[in-house]
Amino acid sequence: MTARPTLPLLPLIASALVALDARAETLLLQNAILHPITGPEIPSGHLLVRDGRIVTVGTGTSTPTADTTIDLKGHHVFPGLIAPTTVLGLQEIDAVRATRDTTESGEYTPDVYSWKAVNPDSELIPVARANGYTHAQPIPIGGIVGGQSAAMTLTGWTIEDMAFRQDVGLHVNWPGFGLDTTPKERAANKDSWKSPEDQIKAREKRLRQIDDFFTEAEAYAKAKAANGPGFAVIPAWEAVLPVVRKEVPLFLHANEQRQIRSAIEWAARRQYRAVLAGGRDAWRLADLLATHKVPVVYEHVFTETLRDTEPYDVHFTAPSVLAKAGVEVSFSEGTDRFGASNVRNIPYAAAQARAFGLPVLEAHRGLTLYPARVLGIADRVGTLEPGKDATFFVVDGDILDLRAHVERMWIAGREVSLESRHTRLYDRYRQRPRK
Amino acid sequence: MRGVGWIVGILVLSGMGQAAEPLQPPGFRPTPPGVHALVGARVYTQPGSVFSNATVVIRDGRIAAVGTEITPPPDARVWNLAGQTVYAGFIDPYLSLSRTNRPVTIGMDEDTSGTGRQARATDGGGGYRFFGVTGQEADPGQTGPGANLNAVTPERRTSQSWSPSTKDLEDLRELGLTAGNIVPTHGIIRGQSAVATLGEDSPGTSLLSLDPTRGTAQHIAFEVPGGEGVFPNSLMGTIAAIRQAYWDARWWGEAQAAFLKNPQSAARPPVNPALEALQLSLGSQPIMVEPGGGLMAERARHLAQELGWSPHLIVVASGGEWRRPDLIEPSRNAYIVPLDFPALPKFPKDEGWEDVDLDLLRSWDWAPENPAVLRRAGATIALTTHGLGDRKEFRKNLIAALDRGLSPTDALAALTTIPAQFCQLGSLLGTLEAGKIANLTVCDSKGYFDPDGKVLSVWIQGRPYVVTPPEDAAEKKEAKPKTDAATTKAPTEKTDASGKEQKDAARKQELRDLARKRVAESPLAGRGVLTNPPALLIRGATIWTCGPQGILTNASLLVRNGRIEQVGTVESTGPVHEIDARGLHVTPGLLDAHSHSMIVGGVNEGSLPSSAMVRIGDVVNSETPNIHQQLAGGLTIANLLHGSANPIGGQNQVIKLRSGASPEGLKFTNAPGGIKFALGENVKQANWGDKFTTRFPQTRMGVPTFIGNRFTAAQQYAATWKAWRDGGQKGVAPRRNLELDAIVEILEGTRLIHCHSYRQDEILAFLRLMESFGVRVATLQHILEGYKVADEIARHGAGASAFADWWAYKYEVIDAIPYAGALMQDRGVVVSFNSDSSDHARRLNFEAAKGMKYGGMSREAALNLVTLNPAKQLRVDRWVGSLEPGKDADLVVWSGDPLDSSSVCLQTWIEGRQYFSRSRESERAAALQRERDGLLAKARRLSGDGGSDGASPGAREKFFRRALEQARHLGVENCQDCLLPRNP
Repeated sequence: MTARPTLPLLPLIASALVALDARAETLLLQNAILHPITGPEIPSGHLLVRDGRIVTVGTGTSTPTADTTIDLKGHHVFPGLIAPTTVLGLQEIDAVRATRDTTESGEYTPDVYSWKAVNPDSELIPVARANGYTHAQPIPIGGIVGGQSAAMTLTGWTIEDMAFRQDVGLHVNWPGFGLDTTPKERAANKDSWKSPEDQIKAREKRLRQIDDFFTEAEAYAKAKAANGPGFAVIPAWEAVLPVVRKEVPLFLHANEQRQIRSAIEWAARRQYRAVLAGGRDAWRLADLLATHKVPVVYEHVFTETLRDTEPYDVHFTAPSVLAKAGVEVSFSEGTDRFGASNVRNIPYAAAQARAFGLPVLEAHRGLTLYPARVLGIADRVGTLEPGKDATFFVVDGDILDLRAHVERMWIAGREVSLESRHTRLYDRYRQRPRK
Repeated sequence: MRGVGWIVGILVLSGMGQAAEPLQPPGFRPTPPGVHALVGARVYTQPGSVFSNATVVIRDGRIAAVGTEITPPPDARVWNLAGQTVYAGFIDPYLSLSRTNRPVTIGMDEDTSGTGRQARATDGGGGYRFFGVTGQEADPGQTGPGANLNAVTPERRTSQSWSPSTKDLEDLRELGLTAGNIVPTHGIIRGQSAVATLGEDSPGTSLLSLDPTRGTAQHIAFEVPGGEGVFPNSLMGTIAAIRQAYWDARWWGEAQAAFLKNPQSAARPPVNPALEALQLSLGSQPIMVEPGGGLMAERARHLAQELGWSPHLIVVASGGEWRRPDLIEPSRNAYIVPLDFPALPKFPKDEGWEDVDLDLLRSWDWAPENPAVLRRAGATIALTTHGLGDRKEFRKNLIAALDRGLSPTDALAALTTIPAQFCQLGSLLGTLEAGKIANLTVCDSKGYFDPDGKVLSVWIQGRPYVVTPPEDAAEKKEAKPKTDAATTKAPTEKTDASGKEQKDAARKQELRDLARKRVAESPLAGRGVLTNPPALLIRGATIWTCGPQGILTNASLLVRNGRIEQVGTVESTGPVHEIDARGLHVTPGLLDAHSHSMIVGGVNEGSLPSSAMVRIGDVVNSETPNIHQQLAGGLTIANLLHGSANPIGGQNQVIKLRSGASPEGLKFTNAPGGIKFALGENVKQANWGDKFTTRFPQTRMGVPTFIGNRFTAAQQYAATWKAWRDGGQKGVAPRRNLELDAIVEILEGTRLIHCHSYRQDEILAFLRLMESFGVRVATLQHILEGYKVADEIARHGAGASAFADWWAYKYEVIDAIPYAGALMQDRGVVVSFNSDSSDHARRLNFEAAKGMKYGGMSREAALNLVTLNPAKQLRVDRWVGSLEPGKDADLVVWSGDPLDSSSVCLQTWIEGRQYFSRSRESERAAALQRERDGLLAKARRLSGDGGSDGASPGAREKFFRRALEQARHLGVENCQDCLLPRNP
C-alpha cells in the first residue's frame, strides 16, 4: 500500500472551488477501482461525467472519450461521504462560546433552521472534505423539539450555495428514561433533586406534552387546509407541517433502550417517518427497528461500555447486529465537543464495525447511501450511478483504511480543493529552515 | 468449663477508694444502694465461656464476683434473672454522635460546596500557601495556632465536648451498648477519641481513660473535604496532606526537644498544638483510620510504615472488603466493622431495575457477608453502629451478618473484648471479671444473637437501665392473640388468622433463607491471568519486533520466565504452550504515555499552582473495568498522569495492566518516577469561569515565572539539606517539604518531567527555563504546536507525546495539525501518540496508523509511535517496547496487520502471562449477565415480597452508593484535557 504511485495533483488555488468551470465539459476517470455502492466494487472501471452528472459507470472494456481523461492507475473512487448528524459549520472552537451556534434555548423551537447559521468559511469544513466528506447535516441540538436540519454541500461561497436541501427533517430529543438515584443528601444541586417517583412523573408529563404538541400540529394543518376565517399563520406550526404531512422524517434522538422503544413506538403509532439518531442501545431493539423500517444514525461505535455486564466490544458489534436484522445503519461522530472536528474520522467508526462483523459493503453504505437516504438526497448523491451528481473522490486505498490518502474530489462535476488549514501549516513548517 | 463448679474470689475493694456516694440533701431522690447480686442468669463471662444459673455480684460500680457457686452478699439487692442472658456490656469502638453518622466516601459526586477550610497560619502541618488561591486570602480559617489546614486538627479531643443528650444515650442503650469510643467526625486528621460509658452519669464520671494526657486514638480519614479551589480537593491531595503533617510533626518533635534542651541557643520552633498532638501517634497512641475503601485501607498500611505511625493501626472497614479479600493483610489486621448494609430500593415501576447494574447488586448481596469475609481472612474485628443512617438497624443487620457466616462467638467478641482491646481498656471493660467496670448487657433467654431475642436492660457502672420493661416483655408474648381476639369475632375467622400467621411465618423464614444464600460472585472471578505457561512459543507469525530485526514474516518467538528468549527462528525448546500464529501478527504490547484511566478520587489536585507533593501512585485503581477494556485493545503499559490544572502537577505512576493485581501489583517498578507539568490555557484557568481570576499565574507570562520560582526555592531547600549533611548531620534536620522534595529530584535528574504543552512560545520558554536549571524535559505532552519548534525540541532532547489528530476543541489548539507527529519525527524528535482518553487507549494501534496517513511515516515508524517510542520516553525501553531477547514478554497477537483497521486484537500477554483472550470474551460477558439475572431475580423476589420492608431511607439510599473504585460515571478518567470546567 505504501508503494502506491501518487496522483498528479491539479494546481490548487486558495478558494475551495477550482476556478475553471468543468461543467460544460466531459470528464473521464479510467482504470479506477470503482465503488458504486449499489453493488460490489468494480476492480477496473471508468466513470464518465457530463454537465456535472455521472453519465456512465462502466467496466474497463469500451472506454468513451472525453475532454479530460484521468488515468487513476488502480486508485479507488467512492461517492462523496455524508455526515448524517453533526455540528460541522455551527461550531468552530468548542471552548470558545462565541464560536458555538449549536444549541438554542427553549424547549419547542421547530422553526429554528440549522442551515442559516453554517459558517461557509469554517476552517473545519475543508478538513472534513480532505477525508472524503462532500455533504453533512448540521443539526440543532437544544430543546425537546429542537428545530430543522439541512443537508449542506461542503463547498460554496454562501449558505445558499451550500444548502443542498434546507428541509431535511425535524429533531426531537426524546426524554430519557434513566433514573437519577443519587440520594438527596449527596446531590450536587439539592434544589433540583427529584425522587425516582417524581422523575417518572416528570418524564411522563413530558411525553404527553410531546404527543400533544404533534396533535396540535395536526390540528393546525387541518385548520390551514380549511383556511377558514380567522386562520392565522404561526411560524412554529408551519415548521412542523412537513412532518405531519409525512414529507420529511423526524429525527428521534435516543440512546437508552427504554427511551428508544418509547420513541419508536410513538412514531409508529403516529405513522410518522422516523430516523433514530444516537442509538447506543439500538442493537437491543434491532427487530423493532427493522419491523418499523427505522434507519439508525449510530453515534456510539467508540462509546465505552456502560453496563458492567456488556462485553468490551458491545458498541463495536452493534452496527453488525442491526445490519443482520435488516436495519440501515449510518455512521456519525455525534455532536459532542469533537463532533465537528472529527467528521473526518467517521469512516473509522465504520471500519471498527467492519472489523467486528459488519460486511464491508454495509460499512461503505453507512458512509454514503444510507445517510443519503436518511437525508432524503439519495436521488442525487450517495452512489455512483448514471444520472446522479458527479460527486465523488479518489483515494489510494479503501476509505475505511486509516492509512489511505484522499487525493482528489469532485462535487457536482467540479473539482474541489483538498487544501485545509492543516495542509497549509504543514507545508509552511515543512519549509522552515532547519536549525 | 461449663457446669464445673467455679468461683472467682471476692475482691477486696479496699483501696479502690470508691465508697457510697455522698448523702443527697433532702428533696433529691436518695441514692440507691450500690451492691447488687444478679442471680439465676445464663452468663457469658467472655466469648466462648458461658455459665448457666450463675451469679454476678456488683459493688460500687465494679464487678465484685462472678460464678456459679456464689452466695449473694447479705448487703446486696438481689435480682432474679432466671431465664435471662448476661453479657459483658457491649462497646462501640467508633461511636460517632455529632453531626451525622456519615461514613467516609470519597467521590466526585460528593457535595463540594464546603467552606471555611483555609490556611490559618503558615507554620503548621499539611498545608501550602500560594498567592490568589480561591478562598485562601479571603477566609482566614480558624483562629489560634495549629495546622495550616482546617481539616487537620489532631489536637482536638472529643472528651472536651462530651455532653451527650439523654435521648442519644437511650437509643444506644436500647441496642445493648454500655460504652462507646466517641470519635471526631470531620476533617482529615480529625483529633482524638475518648471512651465513655453510656449511663446518666456526669461527663467526667462517664469518661474512662487510663491516660488522661491523651485520647483513645488519633483519627485519620481519607476524606476529600471539597471546596472549590481549596487544598486538598482530591484523594491524592488528602493523602499528601496527611504525609506532610506527619513529616512536620517529626521535625517539630525533634526541634522542640532540642529547644527545651538548650533554650538559649537552639532554634525555637513555633508553638503548634497540632504538631504536638501528633507526637502521640508517632509513639504508642493507636491510629484509627477511615479510608473509605478497600484499596485505601491498603494505602493506609503503606503510610503507616512510611510515616512511622504507631504500631496500633485500626482500620474502619468500608464494607467493600469482599471485593479484594487478598488485601486484608493478616499481619496488620485490626478492623472496626460498620453494619451499614444497603437495602433494596423501591421502584415505582419495574423498569427501574434497568438502572441497577451488576456492581450495585453485588454490593447489596455481599454486604452482610463482609464481616465474615474479614474474619475468614484472619482479621480481628470489632463492630460499630457507625455509618448507620438509623442505628435501630444494627441488630437486624447483625443477624443478617450471622446468617452469612459470622459466628456468634466472634460477634460477641466484636462487641466486647475486641473493642475493649482496641480502646486499650481491656483491664476495665470487655469481660465479666472481678475488678472490671460493672457494665452488663442483659437479654432474654434467646440472647442477643437470635433474631427474636430482646435486650431487657443494661448495667452501666453498676447502675441498671431498663430497656424493655418486664411487663412489656411479658405482655408481648400474649399481645398477638389478645389483639386478634379483640378484632375477630367468628371462630372460623380466628382459625384463618392463625393460619395466616403460620403462612406469614413460613414466608418470613423463606425470605430469610433466600437472603441467606449469596448469589453474587467475587469480582475477582474471571479476572486476572488466563494462562501462565512455563514457556510460550508463537509460531508462523508476522512479528513486528519494533527492534533491529524489523518485521519478520513466518517467524517464531519463544518466551520463558516472563522474558523473551528468542525471536525469529527458535531453536528446540522443551515443553511449551504453543500458539499457531500462521496468518496472524504479533507486536510488542502497546504503551500509552498519557493516561488517566486507572486513578481513584480525582485526577487533578487543581487547587494549588504547584501540587508536586501529590502522587498518583497513592491512588492507582486496580478495580476499574478500564483495565480489561484496554487490554482488549492490546495495551499493556499506561503512564498514569496527574491532570493539567496547574503548572506543577502531581507525580505520575507507570503501570502494567496486570488485570487482577493489587494497586501495588500494577506498578511497573522499573519505571523511573516522573511528574506532570502543564502550560497554557488550563493552568492559567482560562476556561474555568469568572470565579477563577486570582490565582497566580493567570497568563503565559506568569507560568515560567512561577515554575522558575519553585525551582529556585527547591535549589535553596536542597542547599539547606546539603549544608546539614555536610556538617555531619548535627542538630535538627531541616524540615521536609514534600513539594520541594519532588522538585529537587527533578533537579537531580531522578524525576522525569512530562509537560502538557500547546503553543510554540510557551514550549520554547519552558525548555529554556529548564535548561537554565540544567534540567532536560523527558516528554512534552500533547505538544500541538511542537512541529513549529521541532528543531529546538530535538536539540533539547525532549520526547513528544502527541495526540494523533485532535484539534479545534479550544483556542490554543487552533494550529494543531495531524502532520505534527511526522514533522517532529522528521526533525529528530522521538515521537509517541497517546490517548488521554479511556476510549482511545483501546485502539492506539489505529492512532499509530494515522502517522502513515498524515506525513507518510513507514509502517515500522508508525507502530513505534505506540511501542518503542513511548518506552524510550518513559525510560523503560531496556525492558519493554520491542520484541527482543531479554525484554519482558509483553506482546499482542492480532488477527492481521495491526495498522489495518480491519484487524482486531486476539490476545494480550504481559510477562509471559495471558490477560486477554478474545475467544473467551463472550463466555465472560455471558457469565456476568447470568449473575446479574440471578441477582435481579433475588432482589425482585425480596423486594416484591416485602423482604426489605421497614428499611430506613438511609439504607435504601446506600444501595446506590457506588464504591469509589467503581465510580466510572464520574468522568474523571475520560479525556482530561476536555473536561476542565467550562465557562458557562
